[in-house]
Amino acid sequence: MDRRELLRNLSIATAGVAAFSCRDRAEAERLAADGALARGEGNPDVTWDKAPCRYCGTGCGVLVGVQDGKVVAAQGDPASPVNRGLLCVKGYHLPGFLYGEDRLLYPQRRGADGTLQRISWDEALDLIAEKFGDALRDHGPESVAVYGSGQWTVFDGYAALKWVKGGMRSNNLDPNARLCMASAVVGFMTQFGSDEPMGCYEDFEAGDDFVLWGNNMAEMHPVLFSRILEHKRQNPGVRIVDIATRQTPTTDYADLFVPVKPNGDLALANGILHVLVRDGMVDRSFVEENCVLRRGIEDLDAIGFGVGGEAGERYGFKDEPRESSWDELVEFLADYTPERVAELAGVPARQVEVLAELYGARDRGTVSLWCMGVNQHVRGTWMNNLITDLHLVTGKIGRPGNNPFSLTGQPSACGTAREVGTLAHRLPADLAVTVPEHRARAEEIWGLEPGTIDPKPGYHAVDMFRALSRGDVKAMWIQTTNPWVSMPNLARFERKPGDGSFVVVSDIYPTPTTDVADLVLPAAAWVEREGMFGNSERRTQHWNKMVEPPGEAREDAWQIVEVARRMGMGHLFPWEGDWHEAMYEEYRTFGLGIGKDLASYQELKETPGKLWPVVDGVETRYRYAAGYDPYVKKSKGVHFYKAKSYGERAAIWLRPWHPPAEVPDAEFPMWLSTGRILEHWHTGSMTRRVKELHQAAPEAYVELNRADAAELGIKDGDRVRVASRRGSIELPARVDGRGKPARGSVFVPFFDEHHLVNELTLDAMDNLSKEPDYKKAAVRVEPVGGKS
Amino acid sequence: MLGLAIVALAAGCAPGVAAQASDARSPAVVRASRRAYDGAPPVIPHAPLGPDCTACHDETGVVLPELGFSPPSPHERTQGLSAASRCVQCHVYRETDGEFVASSFVGLRQDLRRGTRQHTWAPPVRPHGRFLRENCAACHTGPAAREEIRTTHPERVRCEQCHAAVEARGTFRR
Ligand code: SF4
Repeated sequence: MDRRELLRNLSIATAGVAAFSCRDRAEAERLAADGALARGEGNPDVTWDKAPCRYCGTGCGVLVGVQDGKVVAAQGDPASPVNRGLLCVKGYHLPGFLYGEDRLLYPQRRGADGTLQRISWDEALDLIAEKFGDALRDHGPESVAVYGSGQWTVFDGYAALKWVKGGMRSNNLDPNARLCMASAVVGFMTQFGSDEPMGCYEDFEAGDDFVLWGNNMAEMHPVLFSRILEHKRQNPGVRIVDIATRQTPTTDYADLFVPVKPNGDLALANGILHVLVRDGMVDRSFVEENCVLRRGIEDLDAIGFGVGGEAGERYGFKDEPRESSWDELVEFLADYTPERVAELAGVPARQVEVLAELYGARDRGTVSLWCMGVNQHVRGTWMNNLITDLHLVTGKIGRPGNNPFSLTGQPSACGTAREVGTLAHRLPADLAVTVPEHRARAEEIWGLEPGTIDPKPGYHAVDMFRALSRGDVKAMWIQTTNPWVSMPNLARFERKPGDGSFVVVSDIYPTPTTDVADLVLPAAAWVEREGMFGNSERRTQHWNKMVEPPGEAREDAWQIVEVARRMGMGHLFPWEGDWHEAMYEEYRTFGLGIGKDLASYQELKETPGKLWPVVDGVETRYRYAAGYDPYVKKSKGVHFYKAKSYGERAAIWLRPWHPPAEVPDAEFPMWLSTGRILEHWHTGSMTRRVKELHQAAPEAYVELNRADAAELGIKDGDRVRVASRRGSIELPARVDGRGKPARGSVFVPFFDEHHLVNELTLDAMDNLSKEPDYKKAAVRVEPVGGKS
Repeated sequence: MLGLAIVALAAGCAPGVAAQASDARSPAVVRASRRAYDGAPPVIPHAPLGPDCTACHDETGVVLPELGFSPPSPHERTQGLSAASRCVQCHVYRETDGEFVASSFVGLRQDLRRGTRQHTWAPPVRPHGRFLRENCAACHTGPAAREEIRTTHPERVRCEQCHAAVEARGTFRR
């Protein structure tokens, strides 16, 4: 049996049809037996191999078709339990993103005249080693920085982590994932002592009520949303609740739309808790057996938002947790009556009661889903805590169809940023640089002298760029991300190449970020190199190199390893030849035996991925749950065994409502929110080079509420100016487009480098995760004349 | 909604549909122009007509007076897809004909060689994958079916009973 046959059999036997109804399962099995679901069937001249999708955190399995050394087609992988053969429009059009005519093909250094000049790889790597070496020698480890990505493969992230923390002895390593899911990380860590969700995508067929908190799932996680829609079609009692500041394509499918004001979600979650407690819809015995209560600093002035004054340069707010009690919770919640919540959140009081009934219904499974609306929030960690509180007080957690489920935006935000730990304070497998035993463990695995790793966390993403602007960071390497489009308040980070610092950018296409780089390196993309990603449901997925990269493009991890070797740090990467397996197996040792066990390299090569912890080859669909998680020795219920500091119980946090950092006023009277759309992924550097996607969504726009547009004399298609205290942009207006913002608010997608909405956003941050809030800024909108 | 859209189309506001009606290119070329590669979901060749795509693209297709024929959906038995699905998850409109950056991408072409027959009376083999297109009739019957692939026997519903897939080239060797 060859590998492909093995995969096919495995998929049919174990994964393919796990959660369909009986009727559909029979049909799927019949089709599978017929060969209709066979992998890549149809054209014998095309070879097919599996890879996870390059884009969102859903992590759909893709069959990549290769002919004559080029990627020519893609199919959804029927063997992938994630998507079972379906993709979204971005996934189907993946092959095109590799072949834009302006691919970066060789290393280029910016000359004195400001243009990029081709140089050799040797020259480029020597130059990086020299610049980073100079900075270390003259200014110390605080002066070097690596800004990475939730799109880094596990290999890229691990190589960077080891080089920065174990080689350069700096902790200035942070990913763009800080901008998208750091609040979820801190949320899970503060409640369970371990990151990432306990459930898996099977929750989407097991639940009855799906509560979407600020989450336009129809566009952001389309394939997962289609699973919920299919489940609803087969089970008409299933309900979708859309809690949002704006109506989106998701709203069209919702049973209940709950309009909420910016930051009103904090009040709403507390209001739901209030009614649950008031009406006795809580599971006190679950709480007594499995939970502790905690409370932190709540004073608005003491916390701030990371803007203005000293906090506007380096924001290091730390919480001071203390023990709390159920009685204190009841007293705390007394303030959040449905009537007060109606005032603070703009949610009708009756809807607060309805949501409480839904969370409190013991006979219905409840899944809460969230992504950027909750995470990119000045109190994003608090919102994560509160959503999970709803599940803890009702005991609706760690069971199929009953879980708080945070979704990720990037393909390996979980696998690389969170699990490898490419964050300023982290090491692999939930270890932290601040904990002596954790540092010692890393030093032991890496064979380094005790005391090598610096105990002080480095710059988080926003502070890293502030430090670069100040001149405190002298050498910075940016890989697989486009911060000069995606950072908030872009004007703050304006840069002229040759300003005294040294910025290297590795990417596959020219972007506004390569435009300001001193050295540009061509990266191998997706299936042009071997890789691994980890998706939102803890699934690690491996893919093989399938085609040669164009020109002299090389994978990011190779670039880092080569520079480390030139800096005399070759002992960190002692492997000869192809080091992928050896590197991964070393990395994997961090999590073995502590509930973060990843599948072996060979297992991952042969399967459509596995959900960690993987013990004896068996994956874990539901963490902390008896009968599912091998670390739980109880015969029923849950055991939060990773939360050592809480006596292996989960923490219910008391978290109040706070206002946003900036609110509309007479000068800037409207709210601005930003985000993605279905066709484009992040800053559009890949998807805009795909003809079909560009032609579907060629330009950014500002969505307006119909009544606001009428009042401002703006019609659909008119050119308008949107201005904030930080900048202004001109772009076409959309009225009654795919999204409908609430009265007094507008929405602009961020994919378009010609209309940079981040010129307008504010660099205010979550107090605990330091994730910026891209969803709330005050703007003014005015017509400028002309049509688009 | 649909009524309004049809009025708009009749008034010439839907270039996609008008072009479709008068297109001098061969059906195979038109087909290819709407797909990034053979097997990719086609882009939507007409102006938006509302969210309920399956009102017209149902199991058999619908004749729309003065507009032509809306072909059936091929996803009759696709797991996870139904009339309740969001079609625009995969099929997108064209808002422009331009490109952001030119591309050298060449997608897999449809194999236009006819499915071979072992002998004159043998059924031709199926020369393409069936992936997500379980409803053979969508392309092989009705007014939208290209003449060269239109079946002579639409009443026989289980096509795969006679038309075998091509999974490998070459012949069996011990
Ligand atoms: S973008 Fe996301 S939903 Fe779409 S195919 Fe890729 S992983 Fe799946």
